Amino acid sequence: MLNLLGTIGGNVLSLPGILGLALGMMTRQFWLGAALGGLVGVLETLVFAHWQFSQVEGMELAIAVIVGVCAGTLGTAIRRKGATV
Amino acid sequence: MADSQDKRGRIRRLWDWFWSPLAALSVGFTLLAGFLAGILFWGGFHWTMELTNTEEFCTSCHTMEVNLGEYRETIHYNNHSGVRAICSDCHVPHEWNHKIKAKIMAVKDVYHELAGTISTPEKYEAHRLSMASAVWKKMKASDSRECRNCHNFDYMDFTLQETRAASEHQRAIDTGMTCIDCHQGIAHRLPQGYLEEYQNVTEALNGEAAEPLEEHAAAGDDIRAFLNENKD
Repeated sequence: MLNLLGTIGGNVLSLPGILGLALGMMTRQFWLGAALGGLVGVLETLVFAHWQFSQVEGMELAIAVIVGVCAGTLGTAIRRKGATV
Repeated sequence: MADSQDKRGRIRRLWDWFWSPLAALSVGFTLLAGFLAGILFWGGFHWTMELTNTEEFCTSCHTMEVNLGEYRETIHYNNHSGVRAICSDCHVPHEWNHKIKAKIMAVKDVYHELAGTISTPEKYEAHRLSMASAVWKKMKASDSRECRNCHNFDYMDFTLQETRAASEHQRAIDTGMTCIDCHQGIAHRLPQGYLEEYQNVTEALNGEAAEPLEEHAAAGDDIRAFLNENKD
């Protein structure tokens, strides 16, 4: 449980959370914001695994993608709520 | 209009204000202000987190006195070269994602400090094996990532090492071993039954029987004896 919370927190304060949110704010399309966030989650996991797929842990990848998708979607919601363009 | 606004709750008014457009500020001003605020907040966050990496912070809890005392008797605390590895050097990853995860998981230490889980020497000894096991598991799974922040096979000159050390390090490279396989108990005292527990950790991570214990144990004992003799 602690491991799970730590992984989620680490991703929220890392690329999936921050860059995912920023990329989500660059579009008004929810699907695109979510996709960009999810992509960041995949890339971040690969970066920390030093681009070795054998080093990628399934749970870490899944959490990174989920956090990225959520952050991207939130970013898009912020864009739609806070900007007219 | 003003009357209708007054009927809104405080939170609702704050929410509406937060999302209202700023006609008085230019895009440039907003961007620059946001950029500066970002630097300040991020810098402050990072600085605060670095404060939690200091030895003073780590050992400010009563329950950390035992491990601090043990660590102060090792070569990682006091040595001829004057290089010191403090708590965070071995227990906190350098890479951002892993570091944040470690910091969040370290919240459990605050809980156990408050709960008094290891508040007496007897309780500490009762939990020593499980605490050591948790750290070994983390180190084994990460290929001793925190050890490798300072130590690296690629940087070792085996001709300058003791014959036994050079031989064992070469064996470690050849067989894909990691630092913690031999270097257990170099910063804190080893618990009873540590060999069996480390075997369990290795088997749990590998999903298969690990290499025989005696071989690594012999290497580990030699290493500890050597370090203790030469720490000054």
